[in-house]
Amino acid sequence: MFYKIVLFLCLPSVLAEQLCKPNAPDGLKVRLSIKTALDSEAYEWNRNEKFLFQATIAFAMSQYTGQEFKVSNILVCDETPRVSFWFVVTSPANLSQLMSKGVVELAVRKFRNRINNAFLLSDETLEFVGVLPTLASPVEPATPPWLIVFGVMMSLVSAGIVFVLVSTVVQNKRKRKQKRDDQDDDEETRVKTVENGCDGVYNTSFSEDEPNTRM
Amino acid sequence: MAKDARDSWGSPMEFVLACVSYAVGLGNVWRFPYLCQMHGGGGFLIPYLIMLVLEGVPLFYLELAIGQKMRLGSIGAWTAISPYLGGVGLASVVTSLYLCLYYNIINAWSFWYLFHSFQSVLPWAVCPANSNLTGPLEECEKATPTQYFFYRETLNISPSIEENGGLHMGQALCFLLAWVITYLFIVRGIKSTGKVVYFTATFPYVVMLIYLIRGMTLHGALNGVKYMFTPKMEELANPTTWINAATQIFFSLGLGFGSLIAFASYNQYHNNFERQAIIVSFINSGTSIFSAIVTFSIYGFKATVNYETCLERYISFGAAMAVEGAGLAFIVYSEAIKNMPLSQLWSVLYFVMLLLLGMGSMLGNITAIITPLRDFKVVARISDEVFNGGVCLLCLLLGLGFTTTSGNYWFTMFNDYGATFSLLFVVLIEVIAVSYIYGIRRFEKDIEDMLGHRPNWYWKIMWAGVSPLLLICLFVFYVVNYIQGGTPTYQAWNKDLGKSEQTEYPVFGQAFIGLLLVSSVSCIPLTALYVFCQRKKHAQQHKQQLTVNTVAA
Repeated sequence: MFYKIVLFLCLPSVLAEQLCKPNAPDGLKVRLSIKTALDSEAYEWNRNEKFLFQATIAFAMSQYTGQEFKVSNILVCDETPRVSFWFVVTSPANLSQLMSKGVVELAVRKFRNRINNAFLLSDETLEFVGVLPTLASPVEPATPPWLIVFGVMMSLVSAGIVFVLVSTVVQNKRKRKQKRDDQDDDEETRVKTVENGCDGVYNTSFSEDEPNTRM
Repeated sequence: MAKDARDSWGSPMEFVLACVSYAVGLGNVWRFPYLCQMHGGGGFLIPYLIMLVLEGVPLFYLELAIGQKMRLGSIGAWTAISPYLGGVGLASVVTSLYLCLYYNIINAWSFWYLFHSFQSVLPWAVCPANSNLTGPLEECEKATPTQYFFYRETLNISPSIEENGGLHMGQALCFLLAWVITYLFIVRGIKSTGKVVYFTATFPYVVMLIYLIRGMTLHGALNGVKYMFTPKMEELANPTTWINAATQIFFSLGLGFGSLIAFASYNQYHNNFERQAIIVSFINSGTSIFSAIVTFSIYGFKATVNYETCLERYISFGAAMAVEGAGLAFIVYSEAIKNMPLSQLWSVLYFVMLLLLGMGSMLGNITAIITPLRDFKVVARISDEVFNGGVCLLCLLLGLGFTTTSGNYWFTMFNDYGATFSLLFVVLIEVIAVSYIYGIRRFEKDIEDMLGHRPNWYWKIMWAGVSPLLLICLFVFYVVNYIQGGTPTYQAWNKDLGKSEQTEYPVFGQAFIGLLLVSSVSCIPLTALYVFCQRKKHAQQHKQQLTVNTVAA
């Protein structure tokens, strides 16, 4: 009886070893570069960190597929001290069946940010070999910023042009008014002289319609 | 009457600043540093300065003298020198028109880059992500982010000159802005231009000084400067060096467009233009050398920090600079800026400087069109503001073609062929006309009338002998080069490979090049022919009248 219990207990680990091996068709290799990323604040990779990893993958798989995954569904093997390892995900329904690599990849990609943050790492330092990184979706403001600056410049310049044109028109009007005033003054003085000095003959060769002599 | 009197500069200083603003342009910043390092660093200064003395200053002086004496734009001035030579002025106006059409596009690009500098991350520093967010865009990865930003986001360039998409709206808006600002600067003729040049002529130097200080404090800057100033004397034996020096001086001073004649025509009759000509020419060359130092200090920094070994990589990068056109310089400079700390600030400063340099040159270009046309009585009746607005509007509408997706290829065509060959021809005719048709003696007397003393033997030897010879050499060189070069080619951007490829112009492209060249150069013989026929007609009519009178009597 005792031996049966021992065998039963050993079975999952034996199975695990068989399911999880390097270059397994449905396995994914993970490489962590903790020292590179965190330098002096680097943490040691130990069993508890591995547990956290399994938990995050289980979280990602559960969120993505809707099925409930437990830490025991995530099998890790071939660990190296530089921190790299292989893992496979078993189906919660059938412990001897693996989830396909494609599904695992998609789940990881979708929640990559959450997984990275759990370990204070980034896409480059927590590498899932073969899985393309998911770039942050670009933030696009409603109005592109360049258009705003353009709008400001254009309004300033247009205002400048309007100002110059208006001032030119005003100046011209003022000049014309002054010219008319000068003309009126000249006519008045001429009328006066005609009235006062009627003895002389008015010299008509002095042109009347050009009160200002052309230079 | 004030209305009939010609406009004039507020002060001689305004005239000098206008000439400096016009002559100091984008070529000083981009082309000279490239030529310098291609032809042996410090050694290039020798042919450059020799050509300045033999060709640059005398021709500059000549154009100013003509403008100040005749007090008319290029068409009127040349007609006054000899009625058969009115075509020289007309050729200048046509060439200036082509230049105005395409030059403001560079200002539009500067605006585009300037406006995009107001972002936390410069858009040409990183590649944008592709549609499923797995990585950077392919085109961007194959090329570099700066190249991608220029060819795809700024130009949205098509694969060849034959394929045309529509307008690039962002480009078109920036182009519109460039023309609106140009109009604002010239709206009242030189009364407004004279005020603007105080700023456009001086502020670029402030920016260049700031960049020089920044550049010199960068790690490895002195390596770049040392490299540039290490003379390679063997380059002096290469005739191309001398030809490039002569060409650079010639185009850098902006001779032949009629802008200098136009500017000088607004001078007081006794203005001392001799001193001003020398000052402006030397300022122009000094600025080229200054900007070369700035450029090489920045390149030295980049090469030392990023590539550890040598400048060669940047030399080949820089070697592509002028050969492939103005656009590549946007790529090269923005590449250097994005690596500086506080890159937004440096980017804004740099593109403001480019804008001022470009706008300053535009003022000269557009004055070269407006002044000669206003000399005609028909046009003089239209008010300043309306006429200037009309010219700007026309150039804007015609130039919109350069903002289309294939627009950059047309731009390159205009840049390479629109104003190079025809200018050499125009200036050659100018100097021969003044020296031999008008006569050196008469010209001397005119200058004595204006300045109070005759030009000394140096000037006379240059005008009558050295400069025409040099120009003929340049002219022959260009013709031979053009013929030997075979079918003209351009650099087409291949988006799959992420780089430019040399492509031949299609038939309509080559035909258009021919049209560009012929349309300006042919003005000279055609006008001479037209005047000749007119005179013959008048002579015949006059003769008929005389016979009628004698019969009547």
